[in-house]
Amino acid sequence: MTNAVTGAETSNVQIVSEDDVVRVQDLKLNFYTALGVVRALNGVSFNIPRGKVLGVVGESGCGKSQTGLSIMQLTTGRIEGGSILFREFNTGEAIDITRLEKNGPEMRHIRGNNISMIFQEPMTSLNPCYTVGNQIEEAILLHQTQDKAEARKRAVDILQKVGMPNPERIADSYPHQLSGGMRQRAMIAMALSCTPTLLIADEPTTALDVTTEAQILDLMRDLQNEIGTSIMFITHNMGVVAQMCDEVAVMYLGRIIERATIDDIFYDPKHPYTISLLRSIPRLGVARGEKLESIKGTVPDPYSTVTGCPFHPRCPAAIPGLCDAVMPDETFVAGSRTHTVRCHLYT
Amino acid sequence: MLNFIARRVVNMIFLLIIVSFVGFWIIQLPPGSILDTQIQRLRAQGGNLPESLIQALRTRYGVDDPFYVQYWKWISRSLQGDFGTSFETDQTVAERIYNRLGISVSLSLTALLFTWLVSIPIGVYSATHRYSWPDYIITFVQFLGLSIPGFLLALILLITASRLWDQPIGGLFSPQYADAPWSVAKLMDFLGHVWIAIVVLAVGATAGLTRVMRANLLDVLNMQYIQTARAKGLQEATVIWKHAVRNAIHPLVMSLGTLLPALIVGETLIAIILSLPTIGPLYLDALRSQDMYLAGTILVMLSALLLIGNLIADLLLAWVDPRVRLE
Ligand SMILES: Nc1ncnc2c1ncn2[C@@H]1O[C@H](COP(=O)(O)OP(=O)(O)O)[C@@H](O)[C@H]1O
Ligand code: SF4
Ligand SMILES: [Mg+2]
Repeated sequence: MTNAVTGAETSNVQIVSEDDVVRVQDLKLNFYTALGVVRALNGVSFNIPRGKVLGVVGESGCGKSQTGLSIMQLTTGRIEGGSILFREFNTGEAIDITRLEKNGPEMRHIRGNNISMIFQEPMTSLNPCYTVGNQIEEAILLHQTQDKAEARKRAVDILQKVGMPNPERIADSYPHQLSGGMRQRAMIAMALSCTPTLLIADEPTTALDVTTEAQILDLMRDLQNEIGTSIMFITHNMGVVAQMCDEVAVMYLGRIIERATIDDIFYDPKHPYTISLLRSIPRLGVARGEKLESIKGTVPDPYSTVTGCPFHPRCPAAIPGLCDAVMPDETFVAGSRTHTVRCHLYT
Repeated sequence: MLNFIARRVVNMIFLLIIVSFVGFWIIQLPPGSILDTQIQRLRAQGGNLPESLIQALRTRYGVDDPFYVQYWKWISRSLQGDFGTSFETDQTVAERIYNRLGISVSLSLTALLFTWLVSIPIGVYSATHRYSWPDYIITFVQFLGLSIPGFLLALILLITASRLWDQPIGGLFSPQYADAPWSVAKLMDFLGHVWIAIVVLAVGATAGLTRVMRANLLDVLNMQYIQTARAKGLQEATVIWKHAVRNAIHPLVMSLGTLLPALIVGETLIAIILSLPTIGPLYLDALRSQDMYLAGTILVMLSALLLIGNLIADLLLAWVDPRVRLE
């Protein structure tokens, strides 16, 4: 709202709900590297309602992980604009995470306790030197109880909850004794051990085989229903989105370019980029693992800035003279209060 | 774990046997029998050797026996602590070695401890404050430490110290304390001498290991599980010392195995300059004068130390990293 020229960046069409656990507004994140500035996030705005699963999709490099890491204040880049309001549901108070000291006590209290995160690589997500139980207990001892026996009991309980066949034994195992799927279950157990308000899952199944992926997705869905944790589910796989999410935010080059409910995204996609993403969903019988790179052209290099709509060099519907000159605003799709898009075709 | 230890110990004993074979073979190596050398030297010192004495020596050293019998005689005597007689001084080899070996081992262990105590915290600091000016200074000092040869540093320290304190400080004691019984004054004198030896011995390894620690920690800090630890809400100090250092310390533990004997022999030059009564100069002497019983015994003992160092390193590593233990 301070920036008059690119007023659209301070999205005034936020889908505002009193029930949001997190509300990201106009988030800007830059990396200062030897080669120049990388503008990783250029004004990202979205919100996650309580108990809902928001899918964040887009090609690799569009800023999904950095958005998640920013919410945890674990990014190595610099947050240079915007705010991240987080509402702890038990206390009801809202905190702007960007104002907290990066490794200060308040931020550390939130991490692992109110917001937790799981990562793409289950094989390397756990420390090889400590038992799985020890690593889960560590979080519980930090946030929930000082009692070691109690922490151990809770760790075994949560391991059971994530479907571990022999939770006592798993707790005493070292990560390298478990398969990738088991390790991801252990990570989920760790992340949920303090019943967080928000779980950020960064491509949690990308590294797993199809069967294991399906099991983990089932598990996450079940636990989400049971515990009521909101999830920010990062993926580049539209098929996974269809299984997991209530709402979807599509990202392109550090911006959210379309935001809608799951039904609207699949049955009434508006943005040309979303449409091409949907076309690239692997169908039954088609080789899996095919990435979304089947969209024409490539993502511009991160050091450059594109004028106009960032998608225009690749967009089949680009309007010459407009799309390559003017950045489209984020607007509601006609007749909807939940579906927004950032494209000149809909203004 | 017990299984693991047992396997390593059996391995070590097996290797020791092989090493002792090689050691004995080297003792045998000089042209002619060892005895000829001995006899020649005795002759050179003048005097006629009675035939009976020569015969007695021949049987004692068993030069007429086949190799394996000789080896057996030698190894069984060695196991009882009789390593033979040094040709050069007619002292027993054991007498000549034990004292010096003790000094060598204690000096090296102290130097090793020094190396670890310095290189771990500095390496960690350097990695966690990468590209800050203290990191640059540490890096600069490291390269100095790596590039100045130990003997040069020994000379520099020796000269500086003698200028500053106006007394020779080579050796382990000042002359007036050398044969004196232990007292507080002697201890102080000893400490005043020994620190130079320890610093000089440790400086190269410390610089190297600081570098290794820094590089390894930087690698480990990029690992996903470090992110996981941070995402739990742990303090940065816990993330570093509990989760990162333990994974970065492997090469330092492994270095124990190789560093120990390297410190003992490798620094012969330093020991000569600082006139330290360690095993290195003795080894050199023994080789030069073809005192083969002495040289062979030192060789076998150093190899045994290497193997023991490796065993300790393996056990420590297994304790640090469960993947090693549960293989
Ligand atoms: N350490 C870094 N230094 C410089 N740029 C980075 C760094 N980490 C991420 N980026 C940039 O941030 C952008 C977004 O990265 P990321 O969030 O990991 O993408 P995604 O998760 O969507 O694949 C990328 O363009 C990348 O170049
Ligand atoms: S604004 Fe223009 S270029 Fe951008 S997506 Fe819409 S039609 Fe394509
Ligand atoms: Mg990513």
